[in-house]
Amino acid sequence: MKEKFEVLTNKKWFSSLLWILLLIIAWEVGAFVVANTKRIPENVLPHLYQIIIAGFSTDKVTGDMTATQAVLSSAAQTLLRGFLGFVLGAAIGFVFALVMKMSGVLEKVLFPYLMLIQLIPVLGLAPIVLAITGDINVSRVIIAAILSFYPVATNTLAGFKSVEKEKYDLMFICAAKPHVIYTKVLIPAALPYFFTGLKIAAPMAVTASILVDTLQGDGGLGCLLSQSLKHAMSIYVFWLIVFFSAFVGILVGKVIGWIEYGVSPWKRRA
Amino acid sequence: MSEVRDIEIKTRELGVTFQDNAGRDVTALTGVNLEIYKGEFITLLGPSGCGKTTLLRSIADLQKPTTGDVHIQGMTPKEVRLQQKFGFVFQQPVLFDWRTVKKNVELPMEIMGYSKGERSDRADEMLEMVGLKDFANHYPNQLSGGMQQRANIARAFGLDPDILLMDEPFSALDEFTKEKLHEDLLRIWRATNKTILFVTHNIQEGVFLSDRVCVLSPHPGRLSAIVDIDIERPRTLEVKESSYFNELVTKVRNSFEGGSV
Ligand SMILES: Nc1ncnc2c1ncn2[C@@H]1O[C@H](COP(=O)(O)OP(=O)(O)OP(=O)(O)O)[C@@H](O)[C@H]1O
Ligand SMILES: [Mg+2]
Repeated sequence: MKEKFEVLTNKKWFSSLLWILLLIIAWEVGAFVVANTKRIPENVLPHLYQIIIAGFSTDKVTGDMTATQAVLSSAAQTLLRGFLGFVLGAAIGFVFALVMKMSGVLEKVLFPYLMLIQLIPVLGLAPIVLAITGDINVSRVIIAAILSFYPVATNTLAGFKSVEKEKYDLMFICAAKPHVIYTKVLIPAALPYFFTGLKIAAPMAVTASILVDTLQGDGGLGCLLSQSLKHAMSIYVFWLIVFFSAFVGILVGKVIGWIEYGVSPWKRRA
Repeated sequence: MSEVRDIEIKTRELGVTFQDNAGRDVTALTGVNLEIYKGEFITLLGPSGCGKTTLLRSIADLQKPTTGDVHIQGMTPKEVRLQQKFGFVFQQPVLFDWRTVKKNVELPMEIMGYSKGERSDRADEMLEMVGLKDFANHYPNQLSGGMQQRANIARAFGLDPDILLMDEPFSALDEFTKEKLHEDLLRIWRATNKTILFVTHNIQEGVFLSDRVCVLSPHPGRLSAIVDIDIERPRTLEVKESSYFNELVTKVRNSFEGGSV
């Protein structure tokens, strides 16, 4: 019996199922507690079935859209901005890592600034970036880029630094030119680290774009989110957005994982 | 050995001093005067820490001497390195995870601009020699330690360098593979007329392979004796049974200063 259980717990689907089950139980307990303590028309922590029903309901929450339609149509804008920012941030992050690797002086100069930018809260950053760019859409892309950039840059730099002395020695013996060392040794060695950076950055880009929406209005998931929280719209819209973003976050992580798997055949052990 | 032979590598009063963490000087090597002939097979033999790797690295331009100098074919080690004339087998296999075994062997050839076809053919040949033909398309993390080291050796040979520097290449291998590679190494050496510097702390191995065995002693690392190995070539494994072979082994063993190995 005990053995059987162990076999079961080793299965991936089983642990996922257990995890989901525990989450549902905790949620429902929470929903009951909140329902008994608060006396507002709509429970801020509704039961799961209520959220599911709301997702499939045909009632209009805004002018002419159902809850699901409203979420998906705003999601398109927000995710596009998040995605653009993510790609931009990842590209710049990679280039910065490369530059810092090439020049120790530049690393010493740049790194503290990068950390500083990272320390400014998004709430403070958003108005500044908006003031500089003057365009609300551009500013949102840039904020997503700023947040994606740091984990990619630091992880990639760590990847470059992970190359052992012996590999440099071998390249030295072959009298390899610096650009050859970069293309044949440093960049391939940093690739897994780069992907780790991407996996950290992607959900941050999504979260950041939603958050910035709530500040600056003018459409997008975050806008919908704050309306819903202020009871200008059904609270279920809020929860649909939460689940939707969580789903997008997981999906993006998976997609990046697949891409990594695709470009790194040595990780597929025989 | 009476004919006049070209000196290929010459070290003069070569010394290397490192600083340890406490800032104290560690003399890894001192006063090494060594002349190595072109096409010679030389073994550097000695206990751990006597400076064998340091001597090899100084010759290959991987280590700047603190005192003295090294001349190779009348050039500095750097000039020779820039002409890509060195092959170096490191003590630890230095393999690239993201390249298959064959692509690892091809890497230096890629850098030196060999054509694709030539690279592939030579890599196949070298892998065949070290018995890794069936693992050409595996990745390093799918190989055992000994197999990784064989891939490492195949890579150094693939280049066909003038001067082959081998740092304990066979110490991680089993006896059977080792004996096979000894014969292969001697065969390739005879066929290509390379100069080989071979590091080991196995006396039998050094005597079996070499023209001369250079005995190094530790604290401080120095060249304490050179023993001529005038056993006829080509040598087969039976040589190891002969009494002369064992005489030479004893002679080498007795030439260590400060105790036996
Ligand atoms: N980079 C370094 N920094 C400081 N000390 C070093 C360095 N490299 C070697 N040494 C010291 O120099 C001495 C000789 O080292 P070396 O690696 O040449 O020995 P070895 O004969 O190759 O030993 P082994 O058989 O264990 O490989 C040792 O005492 C070692 O501690
Ligand atoms: Mg050594």
